[in-house]
Amino acid sequence: MVADPEIDTRPDATVGAHDAAAAQRPPVQRRRTSLARRMWRYRTLYLMALPGIVYFLVFKYLPMGGLIISFQEYRPFLGILGSPWVGFEHFVRLFTEDTFFMLLRNTLVLSLLLMLISFPVPIVLALLLNELRSKIFQRSVQTIIYIPHFMSWVIVVSIFYVMLTTDSGAINNLIVALGGEPIGFLTDPDWLRPMYVFQHVWRTAGWGTIVYLAALTAVDMSLYEAAEIDGANRWKQTWHITLPAIRATIIVLFILSIGDFLELGFEHMFLLLNSMNREVGEIFDTFVYTAGIQNGQLSFATAVGLFKGLVGLILVVGANSLAKRLGEEGVY
Amino acid sequence: MMQRRTLLKSLPLAAAGLAGAGALTSCGSSGSGGEGGSNGELTWMSVVHTPTTPEASGPVETGLKEMTGASFSYQWVPDASKEEKVNAALASSSVADITTLNQLVMPSIRSALTSGLFWDVEEHLAEFPNLARINEAVIAGAKVDGALYGVPFQQPLARYGVLVRKDWLDRLGLEVPHTVEALGEVAQAFTEGDPTGTGAATTGFIDRAESFAVGFRSLAGYFGAGCKFELDPSGKVVPTFTTDAFKEAMEWYRNAYANGWVNQEFVTMQKQNQEQAIAQDKGGIVVTGLFSGRGYTTLAESIDPETEVEWALINDMTYADVPRRIVSDTGGGMGGLMSFSTQSLSTEDDLHRALSLIDALMEPDCHLLMSNGVEGTHFEKDANGAIEIIDQTLWEQQIQPYAGSIPTNDDTPLYRSTDEMVNLANELISENDEYAVIDVSQPLTSVAYDTSWGTIHQAVNDAYNQYMVGQIDMAGFEDVVDQQRSAGMDDVIAEFTASYESTL
Repeated sequence: MVADPEIDTRPDATVGAHDAAAAQRPPVQRRRTSLARRMWRYRTLYLMALPGIVYFLVFKYLPMGGLIISFQEYRPFLGILGSPWVGFEHFVRLFTEDTFFMLLRNTLVLSLLLMLISFPVPIVLALLLNELRSKIFQRSVQTIIYIPHFMSWVIVVSIFYVMLTTDSGAINNLIVALGGEPIGFLTDPDWLRPMYVFQHVWRTAGWGTIVYLAALTAVDMSLYEAAEIDGANRWKQTWHITLPAIRATIIVLFILSIGDFLELGFEHMFLLLNSMNREVGEIFDTFVYTAGIQNGQLSFATAVGLFKGLVGLILVVGANSLAKRLGEEGVY
Repeated sequence: MMQRRTLLKSLPLAAAGLAGAGALTSCGSSGSGGEGGSNGELTWMSVVHTPTTPEASGPVETGLKEMTGASFSYQWVPDASKEEKVNAALASSSVADITTLNQLVMPSIRSALTSGLFWDVEEHLAEFPNLARINEAVIAGAKVDGALYGVPFQQPLARYGVLVRKDWLDRLGLEVPHTVEALGEVAQAFTEGDPTGTGAATTGFIDRAESFAVGFRSLAGYFGAGCKFELDPSGKVVPTFTTDAFKEAMEWYRNAYANGWVNQEFVTMQKQNQEQAIAQDKGGIVVTGLFSGRGYTTLAESIDPETEVEWALINDMTYADVPRRIVSDTGGGMGGLMSFSTQSLSTEDDLHRALSLIDALMEPDCHLLMSNGVEGTHFEKDANGAIEIIDQTLWEQQIQPYAGSIPTNDDTPLYRSTDEMVNLANELISENDEYAVIDVSQPLTSVAYDTSWGTIHQAVNDAYNQYMVGQIDMAGFEDVVDQQRSAGMDDVIAEFTASYESTL
């Protein structure tokens, strides 16, 4: 694609010319013509953005039209146009059923646990790896810890199943050999959350570390030299130089992870769920699946999904404006 | 500059926020619909029970295309996820030309059937020689709301029984049990004794996650519980889990579990793991289809060719003074429907093209190919015409996957096998017919059932599992059942009862 020379080479001149032209016209007319003109002037940029815009329109915005079925009693054969309208009936059902509070509680608790435990782990790992002297050792550790990222949840959960089952799983065999009672990791509701968080950390921490390590390479080495001359030890250097340097990265990733706040990942939890631990393990994602796809209550499941999406949106916007108020960049 | 920046940057964000909500509605758009209209290739969405799907270029499909002269292709759905796949296809109205629907009792399928997505084929059957000979009783059982929305699969009424390790019984000096009481003693002996002779830890029952819907349901039948729904003494159609017989069975099984006679983590055990555990001598009693013995033996032989494993197949288990009975596992002999989409097969001509394919598949040659394969490659016939599978591995890869796609009628031959266990299982299954207990609700209709049964069933299933492992007691289970009354169960009972009375 040929770049527009005006944009690439003389940005200042463009703005200058634009201002000069605007000064000669009345203000109202100026706004209208300048938008069309500017779109024409930057047509190459718009052209380049087009595939992305089309992608979001087709795959993200267009399907949202389907949300309308959450206000209907959707029957596939009758279609969206033919299904009877029921207004907020499904939402009333959602908010009045006991299930709702169980879902909300489970989703919030697990999300908070992930924020508190799973989010900081990559930062700590990155800081530790950064302090290593031997580059070869650092690289190999880094590679090994991000290997789990490439395993699907099915594999991760299967590995844990084989190790944790009370019917001769490795861990329980060890516990029994040491004289203990076997622990029902897979069925005991008290073990579900620790197990979920542990698996999440195991699978995702290594991958997250890479982002922070990349941010760390951008830190100006002369800052460390100066700090050393001033007598700062390693710990002080980390606290006063390294962490502030990657603060922006941490905040952006934090806001993005809030976006996933209610998006715990259907697959992971679905594989861990069973009758014993459903009380603490059923989350919005798994409920939407069971209610919608397995039991065919499409409208109700869509209503649940819509509610979850709205809460996620509010949280992201809230976190972003909080970050801005604290003087940080934010994501938009 | 600012204007454009905001616009572009806020796009993905808003999308990310609502993507979760959109996911459900968008998932159907990728489904591939049927294209059977105007002489295209017919598509058939069918269920496969084996871990892998067969090659489309394999001997069965090539052979069938040659014999029938029709052009068609399968879309395979794994048995374990058939509910999801069928629901997703229904939700997006992108069903194949022919769809195999095994679970007619599944609420979403009932509502799809009655909303006109599939052809009512009853009047068309007479035009096809093989379809015309489908058993009347099977057709009656396959109707939903009085209409026949597809060609029914004909199956035995009840295929279940109890399988017990014969070689273990012999080693411990025990008789083959024919009562539930004796079965309990065997389970205890298998758990506490040393049936393998190696000192390895063993148990009685090997059950799995679907216990409530599959194995235990059959066991509860021996105690007098019905098949999913039954008529209570006052003439109401009630779910079996509300009956005393069902609860008595639960108490019996709970006691077995508490004594260690059932594998302790059956709640997390999947079908494949169950088969592995059985083959690895973890336990010696399985409540399952009588035909499963053959598969268990094959699997054990693949682990140790010298294995002495031998299964006793029991179809006459009784409890106390309850007469011999067995609950149907095939929906009363109706193994499901092959349904025809009204959307992709828009004209009667299209429908006839699809029906004639199914009709042709009932021809003996096609049937032989789909069940046993190619003579000389997969099987040999001995002097008496009995069939011996000569290449088990090849048969499992190329032929077995079609087991769920074989249309049958009254004339369909039952092949005699050189494997005595297969013949014995077939005999025992046909003996079951006389004692079979069928779900009374199957031909009945209830709107409440369609909308709320999925949730009710899951809640009770969870409560059953919790009771079994001791998380809650019987009062806790009854509480859960009572909660379901206000969650739609009472409506289901009332509507089924009204529907039942109107058929009298």
